[in-house]
Amino acid sequence: MIAALRSGAMGGRLSGLLLVALPVALLIWLVLWPVLQAMVGTVYFPGTGFSIASYTYFFTDAYSLRNLWLTLWVTALTSVLRVVVAMPIALYLRFRTGSIAALVQALALFPMFVPSVLVAYAFIRVLGPNGIVDTVLVALHLPKLMSPYLTPAGPIIGLVWDGLPLTLLLLLSGLGRVSIASVDAARDLGAGSWTLFTRIILPRIQSSIIVTLAFNVLGLFSAFTLPFLLGPASPEMMGPYMQRTFSDNADPLNATTQAVITFAFCAAFGLIYVRAIAKGRKGTA
Amino acid sequence: MNRREFLMAGAAAGLVASTRFAAAATRLDMYTASDANISDFFNNVVKPAFEAANPGTELNVVIARPSAALDAVAQRALAALSAKADPQLDFIEQYEPMLPAGGIEAGLWTDFQKADLANYGAVNKLAIQTAYGLPYRGSQVLLAYDATKLPREKAPKTFADLAAWIKANPGQFIYNRPDKGGSGFNFVNRVVHEVSGRDPLKFKVDNFDQATADDVLGKAWAVLNDLAPSLYEKGAYTAGNTASLQLLAQGAVTMIPAWSDQVLQAIAKGVLPENTGLVQLGDLALCGGFSQAVVPTNAAHRDAALKLADFMLTQEMQTAVIEKLGGFPGVDWSNLPKALHDKYADVIPSSIPTFPSGEWTKAVQDGWYRNVAPNISRT
Repeated sequence: MIAALRSGAMGGRLSGLLLVALPVALLIWLVLWPVLQAMVGTVYFPGTGFSIASYTYFFTDAYSLRNLWLTLWVTALTSVLRVVVAMPIALYLRFRTGSIAALVQALALFPMFVPSVLVAYAFIRVLGPNGIVDTVLVALHLPKLMSPYLTPAGPIIGLVWDGLPLTLLLLLSGLGRVSIASVDAARDLGAGSWTLFTRIILPRIQSSIIVTLAFNVLGLFSAFTLPFLLGPASPEMMGPYMQRTFSDNADPLNATTQAVITFAFCAAFGLIYVRAIAKGRKGTA
Repeated sequence: MNRREFLMAGAAAGLVASTRFAAAATRLDMYTASDANISDFFNNVVKPAFEAANPGTELNVVIARPSAALDAVAQRALAALSAKADPQLDFIEQYEPMLPAGGIEAGLWTDFQKADLANYGAVNKLAIQTAYGLPYRGSQVLLAYDATKLPREKAPKTFADLAAWIKANPGQFIYNRPDKGGSGFNFVNRVVHEVSGRDPLKFKVDNFDQATADDVLGKAWAVLNDLAPSLYEKGAYTAGNTASLQLLAQGAVTMIPAWSDQVLQAIAKGVLPENTGLVQLGDLALCGGFSQAVVPTNAAHRDAALKLADFMLTQEMQTAVIEKLGGFPGVDWSNLPKALHDKYADVIPSSIPTFPSGEWTKAVQDGWYRNVAPNISRT
């Protein structure tokens, strides 16, 4: 293979193709083929022909639309909250070093190593009714917490915590492109912290913020465990709704339709991500 | 010994070992869709005892949740029957033998009356619904409550009492989403029974029709929507049996519907306090049922599967069902120690109504999501 790499442009192209052949083949077999199957399977029925009845049903069914709408706004709110929460931590870690910074980093990355089922049950024990927070509040003679358990706020809090590490790492890698020298120079010219952030730092990490948001949206759209265990019974997020349609109602057609619609939204965000990456490359080249 | 000799010797030893194990073990594929307490019971209690009693047989406990996943497994077995192939299934711990449709006519399930089980005569006659299912354990949904907040003599005894209590004590009752666990599902079913004349026999696996369903279920949704504002958080529903037990344990609610076996286990483990009150409705009990084990006639290890069925009815396993699982025995109490009967007298049922799986279950579960769950007013 290495010999082939050296044997000129033609051979190099071939071995390069061979190197990516396996992942591309896996992608086609395990992702693109099932997606195509699902798309075709929901509109074409052997023997009866084409029909978009299941899509018409989804987009005229108030219950399904409410679930889609909930998924959209939980996704939007959670993605924004993740960036808002992770940004100060990322700024701190970028411009500070030392043992406290290391501790902050370890704590912020900790959720990455906790399975979401554990997050959900820990959440119920801590923030749930008569949980640890309530115990502390009562001991201090304060009123009890309005528990977010089984309300739409429940999954949002859980998902923000659960997704913090990935957001933080993506923002940190973006901040790596902001040179300390330029920050110092701006400071010498008398820029305040806010000006520094909006005029120097933000323009440089714009594309990483878009990448972070796109990544978050893709993950959140299909979130299952936390909305299922912490959220209200209805409206449901698309993940639990698809699962219920498929296994409880034994209705693969409508479940697949829901999956294709979900996929279409995710693909749109995927496109934004790819464009951001392409733009970033052009910018640095 | 050089490297090549070492590798060859190792390979030879491995080959001998693998054929030895393959020859020794008959792997019995057993499926369950029940909660973790049941799959744990099979893994930790039944498996070691059964394997010790039957050397050379390995019990492979396969968890196939939720129950709809088992339907696919059973349909595969039916397809294998007509294709004369191996269904890769020897024993289902709990399944409705009326499903899949046409299964019994095609001869899919083993007729236990003709299977020559040594212990079949001991089975509780009331529990036998069909010869194709073997009732080896039972449990029932009842109401569990915090006896420090609700005195035992004031616990509701009829559905009307219960509804009045829920409304008089807003925020103190919760049931789980009906598709996520039997305790909430059978509470909803009890409402369906209440609005249809308290006759569980009206609902059968094969008598679903949309017009009756619209009429009866419409009335049931009205009752449930009327109760909703008085539930925990003005109409919240937990995601499963265990989550309801957790809210009761944390003192967040006073009363929940719960499976008898799970609540007894929780009390035994100290998750719920000793003085947790248990009460069954007197006008018509909440649903429950005996778990029917089924064995496909075309199972590759049918003889071993029947041995397991017989083994489940032994006094050793039936005592374990009561003591380790908190369930009801499948055999008649006369076959068990008297002391055991006296200890559990509180929860031994006089009647166990049932609700059919299949179309009725789907109609109740999806209908609930569309008609009851969204009407949440948090104001």
